[in-house]
Amino acid sequence: MPVLRYAVRWTASSLVLLFSITAATFVLASLAPGDAARAILNTQGGGYTMAQYRQVRHALGIDAPLPVQYWHWLDGLLHGSLGVDLFSGQPVTQELNGRLGPSLSIIAGTVLLSGVAGVALGIASALRRGALGRLVDVVSLLGLAVPNFWLALVLVELVAVRIRVFPATGYAPLGDGPAAWAQSIALPVLTLSAGAVAFVAKQTRDALSEVMGAEFVVMLRARGLSPGAVVLRHALRNAAIPVVTVLGLLLVSLLGGTVLVEDVFSIPGLGQQAVTAAGSHDLPVIVGVAFYFTVIVVIANLLVDVSYRVLNPRLRFS
Amino acid sequence: MRSFRALDAPRRPRRRAVARRPGALTAAALAAAASLALSACSPSAGGSAAAAGRSAGGTLTVGFSVQAPATLDPAKAPQNYAWFEQLAYEPLIVQRSDGRLAPGLAQSWSYAGTGNTTFVMHLRPGVKFSDGSPLTAAGVVADLRYVVHSAGQMSPFLSGDTFTATGPLTVTIKAAAPNPDFPQILTQDDVVGGMISQPGLRAPARLGTRTFGAGPYMIDPSQTVAGDHYTYVPNPSYYDKAATHWKKVIIKVITDPQSMLNAVRTGQVQVANGDPTTIAAAKQAGLSVISEPDLWMGVTLADRGGVLARPLADVRVRQALNYATSRTAISRALFPGTGAPTSQATVPGGYGYDPALARAYPYDVAKARQLLAAAGYPHGFTLKIVTGEYGGMNLMAQALAQQWQKAGIRLQVTDYANSNQFYSAAFGAKFPAFMTVFGQIPVWVEGPSLFLPPASYNPFHTAAPALAALYGQESRSSAAQQPRLDQQIQAYLAGQAWFVPVVTIGLPYYATKAVAGATTSARAPLLELDEIRPAG
Repeated sequence: MPVLRYAVRWTASSLVLLFSITAATFVLASLAPGDAARAILNTQGGGYTMAQYRQVRHALGIDAPLPVQYWHWLDGLLHGSLGVDLFSGQPVTQELNGRLGPSLSIIAGTVLLSGVAGVALGIASALRRGALGRLVDVVSLLGLAVPNFWLALVLVELVAVRIRVFPATGYAPLGDGPAAWAQSIALPVLTLSAGAVAFVAKQTRDALSEVMGAEFVVMLRARGLSPGAVVLRHALRNAAIPVVTVLGLLLVSLLGGTVLVEDVFSIPGLGQQAVTAAGSHDLPVIVGVAFYFTVIVVIANLLVDVSYRVLNPRLRFS
Repeated sequence: MRSFRALDAPRRPRRRAVARRPGALTAAALAAAASLALSACSPSAGGSAAAAGRSAGGTLTVGFSVQAPATLDPAKAPQNYAWFEQLAYEPLIVQRSDGRLAPGLAQSWSYAGTGNTTFVMHLRPGVKFSDGSPLTAAGVVADLRYVVHSAGQMSPFLSGDTFTATGPLTVTIKAAAPNPDFPQILTQDDVVGGMISQPGLRAPARLGTRTFGAGPYMIDPSQTVAGDHYTYVPNPSYYDKAATHWKKVIIKVITDPQSMLNAVRTGQVQVANGDPTTIAAAKQAGLSVISEPDLWMGVTLADRGGVLARPLADVRVRQALNYATSRTAISRALFPGTGAPTSQATVPGGYGYDPALARAYPYDVAKARQLLAAAGYPHGFTLKIVTGEYGGMNLMAQALAQQWQKAGIRLQVTDYANSNQFYSAAFGAKFPAFMTVFGQIPVWVEGPSLFLPPASYNPFHTAAPALAALYGQESRSSAAQQPRLDQQIQAYLAGQAWFVPVVTIGLPYYATKAVAGATTSARAPLLELDEIRPAG
């Protein structure tokens, strides 16, 4: 029953979050100067009469009061539709689904690389301390200080242009083969991971160092367990909660952080779509992206919550 | 697949090694990265847009620097997106890269009688669209009516005209008003020249994402991701198969100039829109940089009636602004190697260009002050101007603010990074002046956009009887008479100082050595994709 209670509470809070975020996006997007009708007429040369302008607004359905527009959007959502792109006329879900793969690939790749490399470095640093510990500190600072866009440009110049190991731009879907897919996200993932690896390593080292001084670790050693077994089977598990929290936060922050990387590497992700839609006042797409991002955040939070409970039995549904 | 296994295989043993020595995990990650890198170099990589450049010979990948088109419908797509149309939609008349007009779907054409009101085209027999339907005069008539009905960018130039199939393969256009530029308007560069098949016209909703043309290629939706890359494959029904140079053409949207340059340098893209900020690096990298001056950049002094800025109503004030502009300094500082000073609203070799007007307004601050004093503004005045950020126009606005200060004119610059905000402010008559980048088009076509009362670049609707008279003469003139009238119109605009043209610039294109035929000219500044072929 506690599981059921948790599921009900999680579902209710997720629905409230989805409702609030999309409503807020509707309001904020509509406050920006200009609208999609002007954007469309401007792309057709810019000379238009007010009658033409009103006609286009009506045709797009953006002349209705904002609450009415939001109500229509919610009604569509209940029927599985997020509306249509005001410019291309394509269903928003179809457009965003095509861009979900690239964004999720980069985000998942970054979280995975940051998690694996960060935890590995953190363990090494916590166990050896000394020079390695200081090195992790220095690398952490460097990783956090180096701007993503600069690192991206350097990586492209060195790894893509000069030695041509990875492609400089573009995204290859998994359907083109796992190798092509992995190559296409390698540089974006490396770019975004630089700061994240360092941060995760520092969190891991700090948490692990604290745990390694605990009484139960001394007792485990006294029982004759190898240092590796003590760290991996017992200490790391106890030190993992702050690391999981950081990875969860990283995942959420990457939703916005991928925009620049998508631009530099010309990857057709959700971030690029959000920027384009915001610039052209394409409200259904803007709200659609907000909806997708919120769903991802909700799922990420669920995963983090479940991880807490797996890692720490005291937090289980009791 | 083989290269992926190489990446995957070492995982298990290395995971066990972690228990012995934590540092091994880092080594595993490095090994994985190395094997991934090696796989990137393997011949098995490719097949994607990202790796398209490596399938040389059969695939032409073209980099497009503007945001992707909202629609592929040639009747609705703005001229900026001509590349997306011209691959699939054969035009009635073809504009070659040297500016010559050549037969396309129309084998021949001519005006009937005098006055430029009746235009007759004889269509090529035996042509089929990519969907297999035949080209007929009735189909062309239906297409032209669709263009007018769609109210796209070019529809005003055909609006009010009547289109008639005067034979199975003969189309006659009766213009509502004289139109001397039918041949130009019906080329691929003005987009609406590309003919749509009858099945396409019957399903207009599909025109946004599919192609229904008689061009050398047709879009392959299964290999296209809207907004990112558009893949075209050969049209099996194309009438001139020898002109289909590629097994596949991909237009890849890359909006960041540096990313575009990187894509060309690495061979992912063979031909691309360049950017003034990356020209030097492109030349250094050994790329071909193709650039003809095709735009002028400067200021539109829009409020010629003095509604928002009273001083602008006086022609002497507008001329003073021209004299207060050091075009050479701006050209050298902001557009090194790409810009050239100009005093007229056209480009060398372009429509109406007059070498005698090239230095109509030499830099002369004293003369500017003198004109301002004569107009009643001895201490200058404050002028508000709005700018976007396209092509460095915002930088030019800042430079002008510095220069004009010497003549006593205090320029207040509003800078909108968002182009829609900029155009709304500029075309909405919210500012007395706005920064302008304007392309090279026939003067008759230019009028309704640039200087006639309904023009979007004339938001205060300034009417000038002398200019209207010249434009009227131009409309009815023969091809031989047009150049002289073009020059007279340009001379009027310069003399009345409707604008402050500052520099002419050519938007560059980059090409790798893998391709040939990438050339442009002043009269055909848009790179014609159908002329690009494999090198050698």
